[in-house]
Amino acid sequence: MERAQTFAVPTVTVRNIRPRRIVETIFWYILLCLVAVITVLPFLWIFLTSFKGPQDQIVSIPLQFLPQHPTLDNYIRVWNQLPVGNFFINSVIVTASTTILNLLVTSLAAYPLAKMNFRGRDAIFYLLLATFIIPAQLTYIPSFILAINVFQYYDTLFALIFPSLATVFNIFLLRQAFKSVPNDLLDAARIDGASELRIWWQIALPVIRPTLATVAIFTAVVSWNDFLWPSLMLHTRQNMTLPVGLVALQGMFASDFRGVAAGVVITVVPILIFFVILQRQFVQGLAGAVKG
Amino acid sequence: MTKKFSLTPYLFLAPALLIIGIFILYPIVAVVYYSFTDYNITTPPQWIGLQNYTQLVQDPIFWQAIQHSFIYLIVTPTLIVLSILLAIVVNRKLPGINIFRALYYVPVVSGTIAVGIAWRWLWDYNGGLINGALVSLGVLQQPVQWLADPAWTLPIAMSLTIWIGLGYYMVIFLAGLQNIPEDLYDAAVIDGCNNWQKHWYISLPGLRPQIVFVAVVSSLAAIEVFNEIFVLTGGLGGILNSGVTMVFYLWRQAFRLQHAGYASAIAIVLLLITLGFSILNIRLLERNTEAE
Repeated sequence: MERAQTFAVPTVTVRNIRPRRIVETIFWYILLCLVAVITVLPFLWIFLTSFKGPQDQIVSIPLQFLPQHPTLDNYIRVWNQLPVGNFFINSVIVTASTTILNLLVTSLAAYPLAKMNFRGRDAIFYLLLATFIIPAQLTYIPSFILAINVFQYYDTLFALIFPSLATVFNIFLLRQAFKSVPNDLLDAARIDGASELRIWWQIALPVIRPTLATVAIFTAVVSWNDFLWPSLMLHTRQNMTLPVGLVALQGMFASDFRGVAAGVVITVVPILIFFVILQRQFVQGLAGAVKG
Repeated sequence: MTKKFSLTPYLFLAPALLIIGIFILYPIVAVVYYSFTDYNITTPPQWIGLQNYTQLVQDPIFWQAIQHSFIYLIVTPTLIVLSILLAIVVNRKLPGINIFRALYYVPVVSGTIAVGIAWRWLWDYNGGLINGALVSLGVLQQPVQWLADPAWTLPIAMSLTIWIGLGYYMVIFLAGLQNIPEDLYDAAVIDGCNNWQKHWYISLPGLRPQIVFVAVVSSLAAIEVFNEIFVLTGGLGGILNSGVTMVFYLWRQAFRLQHAGYASAIAIVLLLITLGFSILNIRLLERNTEAE
């Protein structure tokens, strides 16, 4: 081989590289598939189990993955014993209103931090920066007491929406985005006599639309999957969101794995559909978020 | 450049500052106060001085919880190494690579609760896939009581954190890799670097901002872990408190036992630890930038 290389370099390297490339590519695909199996197998198993009837083994030796007697019984059983429809609607209400209102509040706050000069701007900015360190769970004790004694929204969806209207992280991301808006654009509008509110809404916001989309997607996913605070606030079954309801279901169906599996599938499928549709924005957005 | 005083920026900031004031800043003050009181939420707090703190120092479960939270930090270096390796793999321009990237991201969007329930069943004694697979492969003679063994509580929870985090951090490192100029790699190849040396000398230094970000984010998340423990132990904290972390103990004291005063003292200790951690992180970050 070595001799061949020294004598006929061009042809042999081409011939040598081709099979090596193919072997390499196969190796990478095997590796990729292996990792995919680890990430997806538990879901696949849950998905298949949710269609298994009582005669089907969940785990048997040898392993049986596919349901021999596929059935929708598990879904019907879960649906009949728990208000899954309510869970779903509640989750949609909370996620939609949190995302829309949070974006309004945080983009309104981010705009002057990026584009205006006023006394106390840096002080406010550093105060917000400092709140990053505070563990969310610390704030839940006083927030819980406020919910009961002051706001009296315990066991309602307001308790989930109201505290999440402003998040420091979103203010930072949007401030970063507003900074890239050209000043000439804003000054031109100011000379025309537009109010700052109109400039924010009609000029600045449209320019940062890609960042807005990213922040919206992430706020929505976090809100959809939020568990600890909702579990502290929601008591009545009818008022629960999907993750809280799923834990209630896990308690009720303790040894009924087929039922729990159906519940997991019901919870996960909507967010996965959302992810598949918006996959590009998800991945690009995450990348941008770190740079900011 | 001195303009007349304008109220506009303050009005823009007002809604966000109001929410942050109520739900982040006020809670800090309140928690400090509660930590010096005996408070069960239903009756007004009674001032008891340092009693909560002296009790805390003598509480063996609290020390155990701190220990567990620090053990949990193992997930941070593990996640950094694994997700950088995975990012390097998926950075190859292979056909269909986007499908793999999306698959690895599935656990991230699905939420800890749904994913955690799947993970819990994976390790189940009777129906679990892991026991099933190990027994049918002949690795184990008999199924193992993974979830009932105190030694396994934290490792199983950490494996869940890693499983969920891998896709998320992979995307961050992938974005970092794609920002590294291609000609740096070409130059390395000309200088005689092999594949591994290429990544060691170019990818790793190039990924420094992402590594710092992931280290900060994932170590704070590890210190404040709750959802994983909650789902895997069914809200009980594991046999012999083997899964009790700081935040889990805070939650149990505040919301299961109604010891809001005692829980506030835990919250203050947690805050001091995260504060120390953040200062340490900032110091390391400064040192890193000075070195350049």
